[in-house]
Amino acid sequence: MPDDANRDRAIRLVVAAQRGDTLAMHELLDVLTPYAGRICAPIALADGPDAVQETLVAVFRSLHSLKEPAALYGWVRAIACREAVRVARRGSRSVPADLATLPQRGDPELAADIGDVLARLSPEHRAVLVLRDVEGLDERAAAALLGLRVGTVKSRLSRARDSFRKAWTS
Amino acid sequence: MTDTPSPQWPDTPLPQWPPTAPLDPVRRLRVLAAGVSGARVTTREIAVPCAEVEPLLADVDGELALLVPDMRRLRLTRADGDRVEAVARSRFGMHARFHGVRRPGWLWLQSRFVLIGIAATPSAARPGHTLVAFTGGVRVPGRAALVPVGVGRAGRKVLDRLDARLGRPG
Repeated sequence: MPDDANRDRAIRLVVAAQRGDTLAMHELLDVLTPYAGRICAPIALADGPDAVQETLVAVFRSLHSLKEPAALYGWVRAIACREAVRVARRGSRSVPADLATLPQRGDPELAADIGDVLARLSPEHRAVLVLRDVEGLDERAAAALLGLRVGTVKSRLSRARDSFRKAWTS
Repeated sequence: MTDTPSPQWPDTPLPQWPPTAPLDPVRRLRVLAAGVSGARVTTREIAVPCAEVEPLLADVDGELALLVPDMRRLRLTRADGDRVEAVARSRFGMHARFHGVRRPGWLWLQSRFVLIGIAATPSAARPGHTLVAFTGGVRVPGRAALVPVGVGRAGRKVLDRLDARLGRPG
């Protein structure tokens, strides 16, 4: 999450943008692009730029309706996660593997880089990993954001971490 | 609700992964235009390399006034990093002070009544070609909005002129 100074700056920019200042919108885009990228890229992989663009289009299209500028980052995070999963599922490059088919310890495929392993998770599993381990959300918040039950998030998180760990520690 | 990560779960952040998902200038233009009610993005692929297009977009004092309809003269009055200020005179004799941002392949200018955004990025499909995009028009004071009349026609005119200026229509 951004630090307090960046958060305060972003809130000021939202207020100015809502009053019609397109230069404030421009600066806000500079602020939000890396944040959206940090969420979208691990989920949408090669389709990351599409996911970031669609996220930010949705954000800016609805910016005028954001009643609580202080809620900006949570709002952007929810949109980014939704759009990244949607774009990843739409993309032909996303062919999620059954987690059980991921390479086992000693498998030569484990020499592949960590990105390759994560790329074989489904977008939904990657979304859980990003929300829990990159964004620091607890299972309940991640479940609410993804529209899933807490138990489902826990299960996906456990399986995704387990698969990831096997590759990571090989 | 607690979830204790396994000691094997990486304490270190993901190294060199995932790749970032930056937005190229044309994607940026689409995002900002989404935040401006009534704005339309006009795009065209031009059969010249981006390195030949960028200097034209950056030439606020010279080329830009030749590209934008109804603008007789545009004079750069201040440049500080990527921030620029300019004074324009329309062919109807009216003056306007613009504030904006100029970056490689990117120009975003707003005055009280006018918005101009132009972007260029190398074509992903055709090497040596450039995708250019324009948005802009007459602003609605106090709102992130354009008067939705003639915005598409203005965009086509700008790109027609850019084509003609480069002498090699796409």
